[in-house]
Amino acid sequence: MTQSHRIDGGQIDRSRSLKFEWNGKKMAGHPGDTLASALIANGVQLVGRSFKYHRPRGIFSAGSEEPNALVQLRKGAAQEPNTRATTVELFEGLAATSQNHRGSLEWDLMAANDLLARFLSAGFYYKTFMWPKAFWEKLYEPVIRASAGLGNLSGQADPDSYDHGYLHCDLLIIGAGPAGLAAALAAGRSGARVILADEDFVMGGRLNAETHEVDGQPGADWAAAAIAELSAMDNVRLMTRTTVYGSYDHGIYGALERVTDHLADAAGKPRQVLWRLYTQRALLTAGATERSIGFGNNDRPGIMLAGAVRAYVNRFGAAPGRRVAVFTNNEDGLRTAEDLKAKGIEVAAVVDARKGEYVLNTVGRRGLKSITLSTGPTIPIDCLAVSGGWSPNVHLTCHHRGRPVWRDDIAGFVPGEGLPPGMTVAGAANGAMTLAAALNKAHEAGASLASALGAKGNAGDAPTGSDENFDATPFWYVADSKPRAWVDLQNDVTSKDVKQSHQEGFRAVEHLKRYTTLGMATDQGKTSNILGLAIMAEASGKTIPETGTTIFRPPYNPVAVGAFAGRARGKEFRPTRLTPSHHWAKENGADFVETGMWLRAQWFKRSGEKGWRDSVDREAAAVRKSVGICDVTTLGKIDIQGRDAAEFLNRIYSNPFLKLPVGKVRYGLMLREDGVAYDDGTTARLTETHFVMTTTTANAVTVFRNMEFARQCLWPDLDVHLISTTDGWAQFAVAGPNSRALLQKVVDDLDLSNDAFPFMACTECTVFGGTPARLFRISFSGELAYEVAVPARYGDAMMRGLMAAGEEFDAVPYGTEALGVLRIEKGHAAGNELNGQTSAQNLGLGGMVSQKKDAIGTKLSTRPEMNRDDDLRLVGFRPKDKSILLTAGAHFLNPGDPEDMAHDQGWMTSVAYSPELGHSVGLGYLKQGSERMGETVRAYSPVRNQDILVEVCSVHHIDPEGVRQRG
Amino acid sequence: MADLDFTLTATPLLGGAKHQIGENQIVERDDLALVSVAIPLGGDAAVAKALKSGWGLTVPEPTVSSVAQDIRAIRTGPDQLILVFPHTTPDARAFVQAKIGEAGYTTDQTDVWVVLEISGSDTLAALERLCPLDVARFAKGGSARTVMEHMGAMIVHLSGDRFLLLSASSSAQSFLHAVELSYRYVTG
Amino acid sequence: MIIPHPLLGPRDAAEFVYKGDASLINRPDGMTASDDEMHDYAYLRDNPAGEHRELWYHEQGDRSWLVVTRNTMTHDITYVELARDVARASGRSR
Repeated sequence: MTQSHRIDGGQIDRSRSLKFEWNGKKMAGHPGDTLASALIANGVQLVGRSFKYHRPRGIFSAGSEEPNALVQLRKGAAQEPNTRATTVELFEGLAATSQNHRGSLEWDLMAANDLLARFLSAGFYYKTFMWPKAFWEKLYEPVIRASAGLGNLSGQADPDSYDHGYLHCDLLIIGAGPAGLAAALAAGRSGARVILADEDFVMGGRLNAETHEVDGQPGADWAAAAIAELSAMDNVRLMTRTTVYGSYDHGIYGALERVTDHLADAAGKPRQVLWRLYTQRALLTAGATERSIGFGNNDRPGIMLAGAVRAYVNRFGAAPGRRVAVFTNNEDGLRTAEDLKAKGIEVAAVVDARKGEYVLNTVGRRGLKSITLSTGPTIPIDCLAVSGGWSPNVHLTCHHRGRPVWRDDIAGFVPGEGLPPGMTVAGAANGAMTLAAALNKAHEAGASLASALGAKGNAGDAPTGSDENFDATPFWYVADSKPRAWVDLQNDVTSKDVKQSHQEGFRAVEHLKRYTTLGMATDQGKTSNILGLAIMAEASGKTIPETGTTIFRPPYNPVAVGAFAGRARGKEFRPTRLTPSHHWAKENGADFVETGMWLRAQWFKRSGEKGWRDSVDREAAAVRKSVGICDVTTLGKIDIQGRDAAEFLNRIYSNPFLKLPVGKVRYGLMLREDGVAYDDGTTARLTETHFVMTTTTANAVTVFRNMEFARQCLWPDLDVHLISTTDGWAQFAVAGPNSRALLQKVVDDLDLSNDAFPFMACTECTVFGGTPARLFRISFSGELAYEVAVPARYGDAMMRGLMAAGEEFDAVPYGTEALGVLRIEKGHAAGNELNGQTSAQNLGLGGMVSQKKDAIGTKLSTRPEMNRDDDLRLVGFRPKDKSILLTAGAHFLNPGDPEDMAHDQGWMTSVAYSPELGHSVGLGYLKQGSERMGETVRAYSPVRNQDILVEVCSVHHIDPEGVRQRG
Repeated sequence: MADLDFTLTATPLLGGAKHQIGENQIVERDDLALVSVAIPLGGDAAVAKALKSGWGLTVPEPTVSSVAQDIRAIRTGPDQLILVFPHTTPDARAFVQAKIGEAGYTTDQTDVWVVLEISGSDTLAALERLCPLDVARFAKGGSARTVMEHMGAMIVHLSGDRFLLLSASSSAQSFLHAVELSYRYVTG
Repeated sequence: MIIPHPLLGPRDAAEFVYKGDASLINRPDGMTASDDEMHDYAYLRDNPAGEHRELWYHEQGDRSWLVVTRNTMTHDITYVELARDVARASGRSR
């Protein structure tokens, strides 16, 4: 297809041709084109269907404010709906399709909605679909979702990658139009560290779209020279394709850089990078956005903003029409006519609202054919350029709740009070609407900000530009137009809808937005908000400032969720922590489970084992029969040193620690200040001033944090120091009757006999001929057991060494599941029991809360409510029918009681099949449980469909006297 | 008595990884020992003296490490610093304790951390994707503890475009992946 | 947000963990405090619209606890101190 509407000039590279596809049709454009300019060059006017009425729509703007030309870009999983054709850079092989129509774009079956417009006006949603209620989910919502709306998701996972990044600067300049470039030159020459960001792929802003001159050169040439000068400065970073979308606290800005969106192949690089910009100061030079005028059928393809028409003609060498009319309320309309004529395009009429001339109506369903003027004539044209004036882009000034103020002289809102701290606004964004004023003010701002930031260089002279006439005469809509006049093209909001909103009492600006949807969706009303507001003001008989203004929240333009996620997807959602024996475990059939960030072996499957239970039963039984080895490195480890370390621990743990002898370990219980138990573990005393604490895997970070709080904030003059050494030591539980015999082969010159190294002993030693180690005689299983730790780098070798030493005892590795079975059999509380509500009393550990000292939580744990005799107590359970497996989460009821909360007696916290006992065992909280040994209660689990009788027993299902662990 | 003919050999966390990405290098430094020294309450002068007499080291500033010969001291907290030096046997703590005596409390942290030395012309660009700090403005020897890709990390500026990165040893592979990916995203 | 750390300079709030009202420093002695005093310490906090002294922990940094004076309406941070110094100044010791 030839580029029928391509004209001379513009900043496109005609030496190269780029092939692309639009709705399956092959077309061509040039580097420097957007998809929109290429479509225009190819004579395409109709590009989409509107949101509600499915009206045919064309390209309306030449920037990110575009309400109409939303397309689906790319194919397959990479397909992205609602992409603005006006910002998509053309690349070889680009494929795009129109969206929101059923059947072809030209013959959209849903266009019937337009005939029903009478019933689809503002608020129809709330009025029509009220009843019957059941219809909502089954009928209304699916139908509405299918017919209204924008593009379609691919339904597949996003195949692209995204990244995050951090940048620092003295001065962030947002927008690289004439003002941004002038400011950047001044600040950059002064020596300030500057970031200049612009969402376009070429900097220069309107200079590329207009025929203005700066410093005696064509504006685009001046911009190119300015960019070249800035590029050569080490202290200036230029970021094109980068939208600064939000202003956050303390000078932090969010920016989205589209890194590879303009390339056919991203070559493994992220598609977009979400930058967090740390700035000392920011200068907003975001320019202004043109707005439309309301008149009958003003939404037809071919009706465009006048500034966009100039952009296509001047920058892209693409003619939006062959015979064009202009409808304007300001000088820009006249400029458009001149620019068009200069390109040899016929200008059929200039309709100037200031002279009392209006466009009343238009004709042309799939492309503009003619306009009818208030003065009578109907003029055949294929493009109408409309200018209703310009609105300063104040969006980012509102992000800290700043409220723009109205300026009559420019008929627009300018930044008011409450700018984000550190932000300055210059150029058109600040109401300096002429080129000369914008250049001047921005240069001045750039220079003075740089100087305030300590830059001492010479900012140079301000560039000079033409001070064209900016005579803004507010004119909002043509009252005499009979047909619907669109205010918000994207949401199909007409001037009638705004008036209706007023009539029905939704008069506040925020209500207007919610009731009519004015200003919602991807463009956030960039071209329509002010027009809607003006109509509401008129209907209320108030001025625009009296009516109010919508303020803006981030993001300025839509940001893909993938960009916010960055790399944090799938396996990279969070880091993975591996235990030192991970590789050995992998080689030996381990099945891994995620516990927090850790991957832990949950069991080691052996050949012939059919399900996980086979493996777990075998491992647990082997520990009780001979010996097993488990990697327990994940337990939190904290090195505690200092003259006052013992005193400190005595205040952290509820039970006494002051007199723990060197060479001994003690089990400790930690309470929160409100008296609730939150962590437990063992702490060993290696020397007078050196302790080693273990915490639960889950609470390692919290315990450390709380101990630092106690150390720094509560008792700042205790000499105690904390260092987390969780990752530093590979620690293994060696448990079972043969654990001593096994370890005796491993440790160097250490007598492990019960007398020499009794239960709860600890020591520093060496293993395997000289490797430093720590040995603790502690037991989580209730068996004779030890934990031995070596520096993590020896962990893999240690696991292999222990297994080799254990071969003669048939030592088995065991995983977290068998670990759980053993601790449930023995009645040790774990995460299921320490659930954030349980007191030491509940746990049956009331005796561990010493009343002779002030430890964290002691005082409030003595409250009567936490010490009621009829409260829950942790006890053991076994099924009356031994063949039945217990269910965790089951609630206890007294036999014969109804199944309701009033009769609830507690719940089962942990269950396991005990290979030792040959039946299922459980732990749970039961009211007055400790006094109900031998009683029978119901364990009722409606969720799991179980209702059985269980017998209350000791938590210690095995060896209640603790003979084995002390043997 | 250990009666097995078995000695334990150390396994580098990342197998002593050396990665070349474009002009840049990522090297696992498993030859370095890390021993932290906690400064006892009121013992600042004693630690300063011990560092001086032990190695000729000055107490590092909060954001700049100090170096003497092949040993570097990094401030990790108001009352804590960490010494980094070439040493491969598991007795680094004893080595430090012998020099500083009772002046500070020592903890061997060699196995707590994975240490990567990164260098090359794309290093600052890679760090922009990884590190929230203004590393381009780091003084020589500049040091900080921060967070990278959700992992706690330490960064030390060695010289030019050469840095040490430290992170938890258990997530060494995730950390290496994050660093590698950052380079890959900005290289070539 | 950026927290100007008294020792390390400006650092992103993402490196910190928030705890709450700095009055948590003023823990009564559990051996002598009344039930009410301990209850108030554990449970009662002011929630001012305006200046608030609060505890932040530099978990991904130097592990300092800080007392940050922040305006809850504007997020303006006017003063940052090491919590340890604040605790000592308010008479806490061992």
